[in-house]
Formats: sequence, structure tokens, C-alpha cells
Amino acid sequence: MSFLRNIRVGFYLAVRQVRRANLWTNILIIFIMLLTFLNLVLVTGFLVGIVTGISDQYRNQQTGDIILRSLDTKNYIQNSPEVISFLHTLPQIKALTARYVTAGTLEANYLTRVGPNEKPNQTGATIEGINPEAENAFSHLARYVHEGRYLTVGDYDRVLLGPQFIHRYSFGDQPGLTPLDNVYPGTKIRLTINGHTREVTVVGILKVPANSSLAARAFMIASEVRQLLGRSDYSVNQIALLLRPGVDPTTFRNFLERSGLGSVAKIQTFEQAMPSGVADVRNTFGVIGNAIGSIGLTVASITIFIVIFINAVTRRKFIGILKGIGISGEAIEISYIFQAFFYAIIGSGIGLAVLYGFLVPYVSAHPISLPVSDAIIVAPVGGTMIRVFLLALAAVIAGYIPARMIVRKNTLDSILGRA
Amino acid sequence: MIETRKLEKSFQDGDREAKVLKGIDFVAKDGEFIAVIGRSGAGKSTFLYQLSLLDEPTAGEILIDGRSTKDFSQKEGIYFRLREFGYVFQDYALLPDLTACENVSLPLIMQGMGKKEARERALHELGRMNVGHHADNLPAHLSGGEQQRVSIARAIVNRPKILFADEPTANLDRESSETVLNIFQELHESGQTIVMVTHEEEYARYAERIITIDDGKIVSDTRV
Repeated sequence: MSFLRNIRVGFYLAVRQVRRANLWTNILIIFIMLLTFLNLVLVTGFLVGIVTGISDQYRNQQTGDIILRSLDTKNYIQNSPEVISFLHTLPQIKALTARYVTAGTLEANYLTRVGPNEKPNQTGATIEGINPEAENAFSHLARYVHEGRYLTVGDYDRVLLGPQFIHRYSFGDQPGLTPLDNVYPGTKIRLTINGHTREVTVVGILKVPANSSLAARAFMIASEVRQLLGRSDYSVNQIALLLRPGVDPTTFRNFLERSGLGSVAKIQTFEQAMPSGVADVRNTFGVIGNAIGSIGLTVASITIFIVIFINAVTRRKFIGILKGIGISGEAIEISYIFQAFFYAIIGSGIGLAVLYGFLVPYVSAHPISLPVSDAIIVAPVGGTMIRVFLLALAAVIAGYIPARMIVRKNTLDSILGRA
Repeated sequence: MIETRKLEKSFQDGDREAKVLKGIDFVAKDGEFIAVIGRSGAGKSTFLYQLSLLDEPTAGEILIDGRSTKDFSQKEGIYFRLREFGYVFQDYALLPDLTACENVSLPLIMQGMGKKEARERALHELGRMNVGHHADNLPAHLSGGEQQRVSIARAIVNRPKILFADEPTANLDRESSETVLNIFQELHESGQTIVMVTHEEEYARYAERIITIDDGKIVSDTRV
């Protein structure tokens, strides 16, 4: 009963102290709380968002929700036409694309090469044979064309190149990848697959971040790659699937396995197909974000401590009077706890509105373009609410300690202002 | 009834111990209006602080209705300050963030009274003190005399057994001082026990009994 009464009086005092405190003081404290909250949420959210951007990019451009690849013992997916026909009958699939994937080489500037001793301007490449329309419906590949144009179904002896192959867009030398000089849309280059060399014309050049799976790929129409591979049975190397909203990828993958596709292809969800390093980097960035956020939380706690301490010291006389007229020390301490709590909750509330009302939707719609990927802010509500709780807890502790220090002082000394 | 026996209070001043109260024996019966006077530094305020449980004596004891305060727990001390005692301070000691009405309501809310009922009681007391029209004003917007009347309202709102006043007129002009003392006299006539410290003999005459303290001892105890 007495505890409830202390809470009631503490709340009564806290509301009035905050309401009648200097407006600018209130604004400053709430602003500090807001920045601390955003620091707690955004640093982690942004760091995780970079990795999520990378993995989302991989999903959108390469694997989709489910990807079927050739078995480790085969070079292609057996009975691909039947598999594709079967997949087309499944209502859970929104879009699919089948790809011939092979290694090859690209060579430019061979006409201006002076002699056999001069090193050819040549690079290794992953060549993908695609149906341009199906691929664009799947990955919006045409969206990334920066120079020239996208492939069309009848583009024989035409190639679309990733930026890593082009000297002016290249992200630097990589093993086996030597950027080509003076290559523009319309430039003829030599393409070699499976020992067959063909002179092809560059129709377009993509622009994607370095980490994109599209960066070091060359695209041609499927029929031409099939011909160069000498694959007469139409068996492809990859089939990527986009599922309709609400379809669980793991459940659907299991369904495909049960349907017998597991015997002709390796079936993986996006999570399974994602390079393992990406998940590790995401977790690492999360830890770094939490570490930085913890520093922010500590700074905020110290700030609240100082603010409440100064407040309590300057009001020491009034704390003495409160005790003098019979207000319990607990009620006075609780009033300071409430004050710190109010500031933390108001700051966090504004922070939540800014975060979910503006920052997250805006950055999702307009990802921040970074050299490694397009970054978004990952701020799951559960994690954010934990941070609100942590901030409120830190504020309450930081408010309680100085209040207790002052309340414990001798009542009469406080009233008379004696040391 | 409140009583002191051999009450002593000392303060440490470096290596030296300064004895401010030197064995005071005193009795205040219910309903008495007592003025404590003395020159500056005589120990009269220190005496009031011990008597009103705002401070603890170094030696001797205080008895309230026959019970020694030495036996009081910390909670009982708070209980007495909240329910049995009322305080009027020299500088009014109102809480600056609370309106006049909220200042007066606070002890009642601490006792567990509902906010609405506490406000009604507070408004009643403020009306008695003739400052009801300032109920929703902050102390900073009141004159010294008005603040002291609010302070008296706060002190008596919980119907205390004893009202302690420490130099209640020290910061007031003559007119306001007389108003405050007239209020004290009215309260006394209605049966309120009052112990008032003042350094002005003229104002001490409002009381029915005057105690003079000098050098930490009671040197005279006279009825007016």
C-alpha cells in the first residue's frame, strides 16, 4: 500500500516537474534520447542492411526463392524440358528462368594486336545462355543495362556484358578477370566456349555493384550457348524460381524433392544457396552494430545521470522540504525515475515514428547505393522494442542513482543548504 | 503534549565541538501558542528543528504524548512529520513546480487521499488563508505574504497536532506579518498547538507563552 502511494506521489511530482521544466531543457533531453535511440537501432540496422542488401541482390538477380542446379555428378539438369514443363504447371510459381551456365573467355582488341608475343586482351568469364524475356520477367535484368540495350530473342551473335569485364567500369583486377579495353556497345569481341570461338557483338553493358552476381557474367541467348556447348538435349544448368507471396520456400522445396526432382537436380532455397560467408558477415555486422549501440547506450546513461544529478543538486533544498513535510524518500526517488522514464519513452516514441514512419519505408523504396551493394535499414519490430526497453532501463537506472544520492542527504542540511 | 528532557545538540566545527543546545527541559501542552525568542545564534531555530524531528539531538530526549522519539523508526519519524506536525518556514519553502493548490494538496495525497478530495480540502484551506483566488498560480507569481499564507495552508491542511513556525515573518512587511500572526492567533483560538520561533519581541506577544533562549539554555519562560 505504502509502495503504491509512493508511486502515486512520485508520478504526481514527476509529471509536474517535467511539464513545468524549462522547455528548451526538455527539448534537449528528449533530443538526446531520440539520437540515442536512432543510434541504437540505425547503426545495427544499417550494418545488417548492407549485408541484407547483398543477399537480397543475390536472391533477386540469381537464385530467386528456389534454385535447381545440376547434381554434383552431372554437368546439367537431366530431362530439363520435362522438369520445366512440370514446374510451369505449379500454381505456387510466379516466374521461372532456365539458364545454360558455362565458363568461357572473352577477348577484345585482337585486330590491333601487334604480334603473337603481345599479351592478348583476354578475360575468363561465366557465360549464361538465357531466354531474354523469361530472365527479365524473373530478375529484371534489362533494368541494369547502362550502355546499349538489352538482349532480344533473335539476338544471334550478340552478348550483354557485366561491368567487371569493361575496363572503365571494372572494380579492379580479380584472378582470371582482366578487364577489356575500348569495349562499347557495337564493339566486336571473341567469345570462346568449349573450344568453339565465335566473334560476337556487344549489345549492352550492365551497371551493378561489385558484389552483384551479374558483375562478372556475360549473357547470350540460350539457343546460341546451347549450340556452342553442343548440347542437343536442351538440358540446362540452372532453373531459378520466384514463388508467389505466402508460399514458404522450404515447404515448396520439400514438395519438389518429394515430386522426384531431387533425383535430377540439387534443389536449394535461397538461404541454402546463399554463399555461407554472407550469413557470417551479416552476423558479424550485427555484433558490431550492437557494440556501437552499447557505447551509445552508455553515453546516454551518463547524460541522463548528469542531467538528473544536476537537476537533483539544484533542487536539493526542495527535496529537503519534501522530506521535511513528510514525503517519503522513496516517493521522491520514484519521481526522478519517472522523469528519466518519461524522457526515454518520449525520445523513443519520436524515434519509432521517425524510424517506421519515414526512414525504413523511404530507404526501402530508395536504397542507399554503396559500392558493395544497395543498402537498406533492417529494423525488425521485436529487436527495436528490445532496444526501447534497454534505453528505458538505462534511463531509469541513470535517473535513480543521482536521485538516491541526493535524497539520502540529511533533511535539515538540504533545507538549509548546508554541505 | 511535547516535552524535552536535557536536550542537547552539538555540531562538529573542525576539531572543536560547538554545543548549541545545553540541556533544555521544556513542555508544550496541547493547545498552547508558544513563542521562542532569543538573539541571533542563541539556538532557538536549532531547538525548533529538534522539537519538530527535522534533526536529531546529540543527547537528551524528546517525548511526544509520553513516548520517546528515540524509539521511533525512520518510518515513524516520517509519519509524524506528515500527519502530526505542520511546518511554516522563514522562506515559505513552497515547491516551485507545483501551484499553490498542489503545494497544499501534496501532504494529503501522500496520506492516500484522492486527488479530487485533496484539491477540495486544499482550496478550503487556501480560502481560509484568503489566497483561494491564487490556487492555480505557481509560487513565483505570488507575493511574499501570499506565499507565506499558502505555506500556512499547507502546514495545517492535515490538521496537525503541532504547528511549528520558524521565523514566519522574517521576510514579510509589517502588514503581511500581522496578517500571518492574526492567522496564528485564530488557529490557536481554535485549539491548535503552535510553537513559533521569532526574533521580534513585538510579534512574540501574539503568543500566550514566551520562552527566551540564550546560549543554548532557556533563560525565561513567561505567560503573556
